[in-house]
Amino acid sequence: MEIGGWDIAAALAKAVTYAATFGAAGAVLFLLYGRALLRDRQRTLVRRLIGILVGAAAAAGILRILLLAGSMSGEFAGMFDRTFASMILAAGEGRSTGVRMAGLAVMLFAFSMNPVLSRSAGLGAIAASTSFAWVGHIHGLVPNTAAALLLSLHLLCVAFWLGALPPLLIIAAGTNLSQTAAAAARFGKLALRVVALLLAAGASLLLMLIGHAAQFWSSDYGRMMAIKLLAVAALLGAAAWNKLHLTPRLLKGDARAGQMFRRSLLVEMSIGALILLTTAALTTLTGPP
Amino acid sequence: MLKNSLLALVVCGVIAAGPCMAHAKLQSSSPANNAHLTEAPKTLTLNFSEAAKLAMLKLVRDGKEIAVPLDKDAKAGQTFTLTLPTLTPGNYTVQWAAVAADDGHVTKGSFAFSIA
Repeated sequence: MEIGGWDIAAALAKAVTYAATFGAAGAVLFLLYGRALLRDRQRTLVRRLIGILVGAAAAAGILRILLLAGSMSGEFAGMFDRTFASMILAAGEGRSTGVRMAGLAVMLFAFSMNPVLSRSAGLGAIAASTSFAWVGHIHGLVPNTAAALLLSLHLLCVAFWLGALPPLLIIAAGTNLSQTAAAAARFGKLALRVVALLLAAGASLLLMLIGHAAQFWSSDYGRMMAIKLLAVAALLGAAAWNKLHLTPRLLKGDARAGQMFRRSLLVEMSIGALILLTTAALTTLTGPP
Repeated sequence: MLKNSLLALVVCGVIAAGPCMAHAKLQSSSPANNAHLTEAPKTLTLNFSEAAKLAMLKLVRDGKEIAVPLDKDAKAGQTFTLTLPTLTPGNYTVQWAAVAADDGHVTKGSFAFSIA
């Protein structure tokens, strides 16, 4: 496929959509399982973060549709061509965007003081983060039900993992080391299972999309996937360091471990951003061989 | 219990997978890419690797676009044949964009031909 500025812009918009959606969803889930770990002011900060990310995800999602429409004609006016937009929306992007917008809206219930409503934000988090499974390469598989389920599981796990990092950073930025230790330990325990599911689902999908090992290295998709897998390996390394080395030191009250934990979270967030950028490029600019 | 469920999910997923299709790629065209023709073609045909909707088609000669009627409401298909106006000798470029019917991805490309 010929790749130009429009395609790169559409891929960047997709990366922002991913980051904001998973960030918001993960923060909502964190409020649900980690509520007791947060102080009032930190809870307010997390809710504010959810609001900002929900807005960013909605805006980036709409911008991406406009950019895809623009990329079809290669002209600015094409962005607002109804025929192009309706073609894109009719081919699956409409379902995906609709589910995501609904999920983002429900996530705003995280601001509610009503406990039933605020808990329902979790449903919004699930809908929004799995919305990306309604369109894309897996829909070229026959049948695709299993792939859609695996992808939904993979996406939910991504939201849980990457979306928890900003709330953890909010906690770690405070001066209460025991609070940081408790949050790291709680998240680490849950993350062990979530990461296992994420990797298993991801590996299965990769097998489905790239049937033969030879095609992995001979295709643009395979080579770009290799970059993503390297980044995932780096992220796993950082997460393992946190769990096995820093968390025990935090639990013992090691102040220096607190500083290292904050830096480690920033490193994880940076690698996470690279993974989402690579995934956006994979799903926009290339296709399975 | 969790490990067994996980293993079952992965095995079911792999077994249930079928042949994979990618973005809608232009497999062939008429005129073919870089064809040197002695007579002006009356139609333009594009053959894609899978069902797609042809969203945009531009025929350009010496930087000037030549109008080619395109039914954007046409159903998705693998082959599109468009009627061309009378073409004069020269070098032509066809730019196209399509949306794959199954995975919703946009693909674009171009090919060229000349008329002596």
